[in-house]
Amino acid sequence: MAEPPVTDAQLIARAVVADDRHAFAELVKRHQSTVRACLRKLTAGNHALADDLSQETFVLAWRNLKSFRQEARFSTWLYRIATNCWLADARKRKEALLGDRLESVADDEDDPMPHVDATHADHARASSLRLDMERAMAVLSEGERAAIVQCYHNDLTHEEAAYVLNCPVGTVKTHVLRGKQKLKAALAAYAPST
Amino acid sequence: MSDPRTSASDKDDWLDRLLVAEAAASRDAYITDDGFTAKVMTALPPPAALPSWRRPVVVALWGVAAAGVAVAAPSAALDVAREAYRLLATVPVSLSGIAAAAATVLALTGAAAAYTLRVSD
Repeated sequence: MAEPPVTDAQLIARAVVADDRHAFAELVKRHQSTVRACLRKLTAGNHALADDLSQETFVLAWRNLKSFRQEARFSTWLYRIATNCWLADARKRKEALLGDRLESVADDEDDPMPHVDATHADHARASSLRLDMERAMAVLSEGERAAIVQCYHNDLTHEEAAYVLNCPVGTVKTHVLRGKQKLKAALAAYAPST
Repeated sequence: MSDPRTSASDKDDWLDRLLVAEAAASRDAYITDDGFTAKVMTALPPPAALPSWRRPVVVALWGVAAAGVAVAAPSAALDVAREAYRLLATVPVSLSGIAAAAATVLALTGAAAAYTLRVSD
């Protein structure tokens, strides 16, 4: 008979009580993809930076594992640490890249998909969506971007997003609303023609 | 059945549909580990090791405490030693009893050693 899969809670207990690094490695393996994907969104597609921040996230998670009280899912707790890491880093860098990306989005506003062949329009549209979304996300403020990523990409409720962002639910809703207004302008080419 | 959670998206909005579709595509694209976990594990702080002088100091302190008790209450220490000898001397000891005790001690030592090796692995 196959053994039941070990839960996150059991692995966390082993890591905390017995300083079991193998258990923590298993947790990293389980959650690395979602954490890295979340940070790739937050960094607007900067994969190298996202991976550095992901590593920092897991190291911080290891250091603070004793303080994890299971008041949220482990993945949500990791998103919270990841978002804090990204915010700290963004403030440190003052988002030097944001200016360049803003200009790039503004340049493309007239013709966001200039090289799309009509016969492959659907395929090109789908494949360029990710890139256009990344550029559009770079237009948003830190709070707006974080709220959009938590609510849509990580599929969290407003309450869970408020926990991750450590702010009131009302603030999350405001950030989402304002962020979407900006995204609508940046992604106007994807709007259905009326 | 509807999702009991508060939905963050308005399904009638084209941007919502776009965001949901893009998010779903991203979630489906699993990011392979490619040594990421190993890199994280090497970046963890090393396990806290007790200083090498701690054990001999603790043993020495216990020895000093025991000697202190023996010096402070010599008659009591002598009484305890005398009673212990009397108890042990009156217990009939057979060869099989000694063998059983030795086997028990050996088994316990082996089990403790195996556990220690497994924990420190």
